Amino acid sequence: MPIFEKSSESSITRAIISQFAKDMEGFAETDVIVIGGGPSGLMAARDLALKKVKVLIVERNNYLGGGFWIGGFLMNTITVRAPAQKILDELDIKYKMFEKGLYVTPGPLACSKLIAAACEAGVSILNMAQFDDVVLREKNRVAGAVVNWTPVSALPRQITCVDPVALESKLVIDASGHDAMVVKKLEERGLIKTPGFGAMWIEKSEDAVVEHSGFAHPGLVVIGMAVSTTFGLPRMGPTFGSMLLSGRQGAKVAYDYLKKNK
Amino acid sequence: MTISRRTSKTRLRKVRLYSSENPGGSDLRKVKLYLEKLFPSLDVQILPSIFGSIKKSELQAVAYALASARVKDPDVQEQSHEPLFGEVDYELRTIQGKARVGGVVYEGRRLRELLIGFLSGRRTLSIASVVFTDRLISTFSRDDMRHHLRTIVCGFPSIVSKPGVVEAPAKPREFYILKQQMELEGASEYGIERLKSSFKGRFVDFGDPRLAEVLRGLTLQAIMYHLTLDPFCDDRDCRLFNSHRQEELVRAQITSGELCSRHTNALEELGRKPLLRW
Repeated sequence: MPIFEKSSESSITRAIISQFAKDMEGFAETDVIVIGGGPSGLMAARDLALKKVKVLIVERNNYLGGGFWIGGFLMNTITVRAPAQKILDELDIKYKMFEKGLYVTPGPLACSKLIAAACEAGVSILNMAQFDDVVLREKNRVAGAVVNWTPVSALPRQITCVDPVALESKLVIDASGHDAMVVKKLEERGLIKTPGFGAMWIEKSEDAVVEHSGFAHPGLVVIGMAVSTTFGLPRMGPTFGSMLLSGRQGAKVAYDYLKKNK
Repeated sequence: MTISRRTSKTRLRKVRLYSSENPGGSDLRKVKLYLEKLFPSLDVQILPSIFGSIKKSELQAVAYALASARVKDPDVQEQSHEPLFGEVDYELRTIQGKARVGGVVYEGRRLRELLIGFLSGRRTLSIASVVFTDRLISTFSRDDMRHHLRTIVCGFPSIVSKPGVVEAPAKPREFYILKQQMELEGASEYGIERLKSSFKGRFVDFGDPRLAEVLRGLTLQAIMYHLTLDPFCDDRDCRLFNSHRQEELVRAQITSGELCSRHTNALEELGRKPLLRW
């Protein structure tokens, strides 16, 4: 007796295509598009989805999680400082107290749990797709993202003249890390001017990243390390607690906006 | 430098200490007691943060001015830039108490120009105002043509930056060398905190109980500026020494914690009769 039920190759192909086409149709118009599926993007998307907001994460890699799988120096122990351990509690991620106020957890555990929490909350994912451009509306308000398959950008243009597709949304969240891809696209268009990384030496910059998480331009919220690039804040090392809190702060700002502009 | 013998008829009667954005602890009460001891005739008042007194109709303009006062390029004297939408939004939230301040540097003189408009006693020199802030402030130095973080920017009002006490004076040289080495080796933030503990006592850190003591000295510098336009002393053991290094700050404000003999005498006289000497 075979383990698996019988199915034909054509049925499998039809199942993939029809489900993906249905998903893609839904992605064409959402409440919020999150560019980047690292810790801050996942956190923001999860918080919004829990409040019944329709969210899509666009991730250029085939895997989600960004740098959350590993900590400093390629070691896969993640350190989190209080009060960010409360988020680990919320996500049911086991951790140990290293000393008062400092907690450690295995990167693979924390990352996979965060991804699962986002998916279970109802976040849609479009991976292997890269942000290409912004959709602009009245007064240059950001109202969506233009995306293409990631491999397209890696091949010579002569053989990959594949046009991107546009996805509309009420808000876009830039969670693309230091690249700040959405912000940079606005800068290319002359709509915003980023100062680059702050050159002055300042020790305490984590709070600044969390507190600056919010609107950078009408229709565009920035979170995570993209905040540093956008506002010229001092560059930080791998401080995952602030990424999680930044994602939460961005989700709050986005939700308040959506509620006010129903 | 000698203290001017020239006196005006204007007498300093009040000192207003404006609390920082995130007040806490008893730092300003200690500063008040210190000033009252030195200047028995002065009425020293502790007031809430100056940013709390801004009218609703002015909030947006003040947020814009604060965002414009950010130092984005330390090598450029005059910071002229159109603030980002998000920067104005952030400043608005800080004024409303919805976001904490930190991690951003503001041009001290521009901040002072902005604050003067909110001082109730701004039209009289008989009131000295000292604004404490949790913001980092800098001024441009012509010595090396770049902005430097400051603990205090003297003027009318004077601004004292609480995080500036930690960030502005340079820490011991060995600390930076070891820190750089550790960072290259991929040390975590926790590792850096451990490094700091090995330098314990040699610099003032965040949450340091000695901060109140330092604030006393800095406030005295502000009052001396108001009275004489000469807030600093060359003596490294005098509280009026303008410290550029943490070890100098600790020495002047904590280890010594006293005034030099010249300023002790001057303060005795100024304490009895706080007349402006300029």
